[in-house]
Amino acid sequence: MSETAKENIKIVKHATCTFCGCVCDDMELTVDMDAHKITKAKNACVLGRAWFAEHVIEDRPAAMVDGKEVSIEEAVEEAAQTLVKARFPITYGLSDTTCEAQRQAVAITDIIHGTVDTTTSVCHGPSGLAFQGVGESTMTLGEVKNRADFIIYWGGNPAEAHPRHFTRYSVTPKGMFTPNGKKDRTVVLVDVRKTSTAPVADIVIRVKPGKDFELLWALRALVKGKKVADNIEAITGVSMDTLTDLVERMKNCRYGVFFFGMGLTMTRGRHFNSGALLALATDLNEFTHFVAKPVRGHGNVTGADNVVSWQTGYPFGVNFNLGYPRFNPGEFTTVDTLSRGDADAALIIASDPASNFPKAAIEHLHKIPVITLDTKETHTSKLAHVAFTTATYGINTGGTVYRMDDVPITLRPAFDSPFPTDEEILTAIRKRAHELMLAKSGLGAAGGGGTQKVAAPRKE
Amino acid sequence: MSLKLTLHTSPDVPLEAPCLNPDTLAGMTADIVAAQKVMHGNQAASVGDFFKVAGKANGTLELEGDLSRVKYIGAGMQSGILNVTGNVGQHLGAGMSGGDIRVDGDAGDWVAPEMRGGRVTITGNAGHLVGGAPRGSAIGMLGGEIIIHGNVRNETGHAMRNGLIAVGGTSGDFTGVNMLAGTIIVLGDMGNRSGAGMQRGSIVSMNPAEMLPTFTHACVYRPEFLRLLLLHIRSAGLPVNDDHIEGAYDRWCGDVVEVNRGEILLLNGA
Repeated sequence: MSETAKENIKIVKHATCTFCGCVCDDMELTVDMDAHKITKAKNACVLGRAWFAEHVIEDRPAAMVDGKEVSIEEAVEEAAQTLVKARFPITYGLSDTTCEAQRQAVAITDIIHGTVDTTTSVCHGPSGLAFQGVGESTMTLGEVKNRADFIIYWGGNPAEAHPRHFTRYSVTPKGMFTPNGKKDRTVVLVDVRKTSTAPVADIVIRVKPGKDFELLWALRALVKGKKVADNIEAITGVSMDTLTDLVERMKNCRYGVFFFGMGLTMTRGRHFNSGALLALATDLNEFTHFVAKPVRGHGNVTGADNVVSWQTGYPFGVNFNLGYPRFNPGEFTTVDTLSRGDADAALIIASDPASNFPKAAIEHLHKIPVITLDTKETHTSKLAHVAFTTATYGINTGGTVYRMDDVPITLRPAFDSPFPTDEEILTAIRKRAHELMLAKSGLGAAGGGGTQKVAAPRKE
Repeated sequence: MSLKLTLHTSPDVPLEAPCLNPDTLAGMTADIVAAQKVMHGNQAASVGDFFKVAGKANGTLELEGDLSRVKYIGAGMQSGILNVTGNVGQHLGAGMSGGDIRVDGDAGDWVAPEMRGGRVTITGNAGHLVGGAPRGSAIGMLGGEIIIHGNVRNETGHAMRNGLIAVGGTSGDFTGVNMLAGTIIVLGDMGNRSGAGMQRGSIVSMNPAEMLPTFTHACVYRPEFLRLLLLHIRSAGLPVNDDHIEGAYDRWCGDVVEVNRGEILLLNGA
């Protein structure tokens, strides 16, 4: 006790962990203000503890151009000039930053007539397509906690990816209509292998790899009372008895939930897999209440979907080349614009495509000017023309993030960072890009103040 | 002499050129054609920046060069002839309602989405969503013919409502997905999940195919309409042989999750 008294310790209550899409907002952080370290994160899961404990202030310049340290103003100028010059600039990433920063990124893309896309396009983007094609029967996680008595996890492993999902929302918590917690719920896991989620589940169904669509389609037919092929077990690896039992349980539950992961969206069939599951949830509403929700990965990827939808009308893969938003995944999604060699400049925010994109896409990233905003050095920031180091959201900066069920949550930062926030950098780039675009179209002066010059007459 | 446009400068980024169709350029001289506006990424440019223009428009438009970055060629076309020597980019013949497009080369994704009439012939391969519906639209092609000599990728004829798509090579997954009506003929292999969610319409293949559990085998027969269609696509240059025309076909009905009025016909004994 005497040791802690000597130190400059700060306790942050109700802090938010932005590591995964659960965005748990009940953290109690113990912060050593002298060492700029979080020494304890009460309530955090194993992932959250690592997220807080391993956070350090990087010893890097705040801004670099071609690997050389420059002032932030110079870097902003260079970034804005690069983006305004480009004919097919792309904006990508956004899932690990605040909604306030995402908003600025969409505004920049609009101003420079570029293409905005988020990491959604390489995770639950197919679900986004399926929502548009099929529709979504949705809920909040609070509803699940209080009402759901039948939970199906499909193609995901929350025990390892979202450890507190079970205890906060879906399996053990005691809710208004689930007073006995786990005893009031049936948990089903559908996956290709027995993952560490399996011990939590009452029923584990192992589907043959790549046969999720067939299984979902057969379930849809059975729910509708239609016949399915006799060789269903040979096709999917799941017996007809198991299927009919599952269908009966689904139809007779009080409140059923599908949580689905990238086992559906990133395997063969993609948006049709998600679509089949959403359609099954819709079909089941003829018998009982059934909802479906993707289990999202990055801390604020749901916010990215929300902000891009709110500002453009579409969730990801949005192009402004003609001055108005157009949505077309496959044409305007980042993997495609890079692999085809369409993009001629890239603004990458809080993401590292150079570490996980296909080879052709990474090769193209090496050929074009790239601007990165990240808290750490990444493969992408290493190849960047302009690289900004920014403060970490949730730990060093406040703002808003969205939980995986589209509920906005406010951040309570633990301590300050010497680096600017994503929002500050992006706002500066936006202002400068706006001035440059006005100058280009003959409406303002490139020397500065273009924004004000145009705004003033409007007020009068 | 017809109007001929030869690519002299390849676009660095996608070029959107819906004006490259015989209707829009009808009656224009070479100078006026060269001044037509196109979008080079987010910047306006003119046809002459990329193409050498020769001749005068008389209803036939000839394009030459690697146009794989040029989008919306022949979009909205209503009449006339468009011949392309070289590859074309995405959205070829988008929403066209008449006329004839022939591409000696490969085509990108979305060949003739929401087509209403006319004919598109591709001698090479085509990408995803041939004759399909754009994202957010419930209905794909409404009429006309798409003849592809090579292979196509996924979602061929996605949500198509009428018309014919004939493929000489193979097709990817989800051929005829959510199809409302119309006909798709694939002479080679089809990928998996053909006809998923189909309501009506016919999907035909000359090779065995993996069937969804929601399709049921109905019978083996020799459909009369198919002979006529096969003779028709043979005359268009696809490799249809006598076995295809004389053969019997397995008829599978589906999709049972929808109205179960669609059919998949697979050549019996193939």
